[in-house]
Amino acid sequence: MLHLLKYRFLQIIREYSVMFWSLAFPIILGTFYYLSFGNIGLAGTGETSWDSVPVAVITEDDTSDYALAFSQFLAELDGDMLKIEDISSEKEAIDDLKSGTIQGIYYVKDTPSLTVAENGINESILTALLDTYRQNSRLLQKIAITHPERITDALNAVYDYQSFTKDTSLGGKTLDSTVQYFLALIAYACLSGAFLGVRFAMDGQANLSALGARRSITPTHKLTLILIDMLVIVAVHFVDVLLLNLYIVKVLGFSLGDQTGTLILINLMGSLIGVCMGIVLGCVSRLSLGVRMGLCVALTLFPGFLAGLMFGNMKNIIEANCPVINRINPAAVLSDAYYCMSVYNDSARLTRSLIILAVMSLLCLIVAFLGVRRERYDSI
Amino acid sequence: MIHIENLVKRYGSLVALDHLNLDIREGEIFGLLGPNGSGKTTAINCLLALLKYDKGTITIFGKEMHPDSYDIKKDIGVVMQNVAVFDQMTVWENIDFFCGLYIKDKKKRLELVEEAIAFTGLEDYRKMRPKKLSGGLLRRLNIACGIVHKPKLIIMDEPTVAVDPQSRNRILEGIIELNRQGSTIIYTSHYMEEVEQICTRIAIIDHGQVLATGTTEELKKMIKTGETITIEAIALDEMTLSGLRALPHVFGLTYENQVLKIKCSDARHNLVRILNYLQEHDVSFGRVFSELPTLNDVFLEITGKELRD
Repeated sequence: MLHLLKYRFLQIIREYSVMFWSLAFPIILGTFYYLSFGNIGLAGTGETSWDSVPVAVITEDDTSDYALAFSQFLAELDGDMLKIEDISSEKEAIDDLKSGTIQGIYYVKDTPSLTVAENGINESILTALLDTYRQNSRLLQKIAITHPERITDALNAVYDYQSFTKDTSLGGKTLDSTVQYFLALIAYACLSGAFLGVRFAMDGQANLSALGARRSITPTHKLTLILIDMLVIVAVHFVDVLLLNLYIVKVLGFSLGDQTGTLILINLMGSLIGVCMGIVLGCVSRLSLGVRMGLCVALTLFPGFLAGLMFGNMKNIIEANCPVINRINPAAVLSDAYYCMSVYNDSARLTRSLIILAVMSLLCLIVAFLGVRRERYDSI
Repeated sequence: MIHIENLVKRYGSLVALDHLNLDIREGEIFGLLGPNGSGKTTAINCLLALLKYDKGTITIFGKEMHPDSYDIKKDIGVVMQNVAVFDQMTVWENIDFFCGLYIKDKKKRLELVEEAIAFTGLEDYRKMRPKKLSGGLLRRLNIACGIVHKPKLIIMDEPTVAVDPQSRNRILEGIIELNRQGSTIIYTSHYMEEVEQICTRIAIIDHGQVLATGTTEELKKMIKTGETITIEAIALDEMTLSGLRALPHVFGLTYENQVLKIKCSDARHNLVRILNYLQEHDVSFGRVFSELPTLNDVFLEITGKELRD
């Protein structure tokens, strides 16, 4: 058994063309992404961890209850999500906004408003805060009318904004919009296990290669050979994906969240799906290795493209127009799972993605096994 | 040792094996001789339970052969027509890997690997990867991987295709040595010289059927040609040729490019009789050859076509 494991491992890691696609290519692509997006995302500015957004607060009305409530809301966030600069005049605030010293001006009045000078992640956060306040404000008004007895609870919930933001991960580690590309890249890397899968199928089937024929006529049970091959290949690819994770986190400085166990589980299922896809492709028909590898490139890059590998918003466009594709595209499901885990803690959506991945893994595994278990062939 | 009875294999409408029957005895070097596409490799693949077949039975060592006949497989070594080694592993690692599929004991395995390397003359190449080897060395590695576990039965499917003469001789000598060491060998080829040189018994196969089986001598005796006489002669007229055709034991004659080829049945003094005839008719002639029938003659007469057609 160890003999088989050892040699299968050697064969795989020395198959440089296959290892290039499954390990080196995603790392190279990740590096190019990093260099390309360096000036766009937070990672490029070194802001991979959260910094407070500098703002000015201009009070236009300090008499109404609504204005006071908003003023109190902003004060709660000062020092945490916001850094309220000591600016009193609107003119000074606008000058600072133009010069980039501050990134937004909140106006405290009956109907609070925000002025920003640019489009960016910080400006989006400031907008999101104002939107959240408005929604909560409307909610409180509604509760005061319909359930006045619960208004105290509602107020506590709204004022306890700190805990609210933690629960939704807005104060998390990854606010960089470009992280979507890297998540799609990891998803693509998982699928690139297909290259290893094709190799496995070719080496194991008597009708596909002389090596397959030679292995088929040895006294080692075919099931043993299949299981060892799959174990080694999935393990090698799983390590490839982990290495990519490490590269993205440690070298490129992006966070993939702190749920290590879940991350490993997603990586494992992704690796399994990728490898099994390759095995199925390898067993389907009698194509040359070159053609199979070409198909592999297409069958891994295309789902990757749909998941946002080349165009970050692609997954969202598909989600808006034909969401079923995002449910059945393994790259999209993987990317979504990583996104749920590292960008915002949507446990329900994460669970859904994990279930889909588990079902996909199982299906791929069954189909792949049915493909390779044949012992006698119609033609060789 | 091997019994194949009424084996039929069809690929759609094409009948690759047509009620093939074979009996191979222990200790033989059994040659399967036939042109490309005659069914040799198909027969081997059926024998190894790699191919499904439509009809017939195959028994090896007295047991019916199935894909899960692992007890039979452990005593079989196969040298495939296409080189079947891992490019990612060295010569030594390849041989060790395939040996390990048969032999679990590590010490014994290492001994066998060294023996196989010495047997195939790959001592100087043990750390090289297959892609660095010449065609002949690659074939030798292919053989080493197939015979390293010292099987009772070795099946060699055209192991000398695209091999230089030096390596070919070494391979053929190796096959004889393996047989001497106790292995029964099935050797398929379309090179009749090789088959004639090493095989103790031969089956001529074409269109998936065994046309004749026997030793080389037995096969030669099955055909009408006993001797082919070649004479260089200038400007023979039709009357002389007709006279030659009418001689006893002459059953075939061609005259092209001033070369006369006369086929005679197995009889004494054929050459003397023909030369006397030419002298009597005052026909001058140059060089004269007399050849005994080859396997190609056997094949030509049995199938009506050249072996390499």
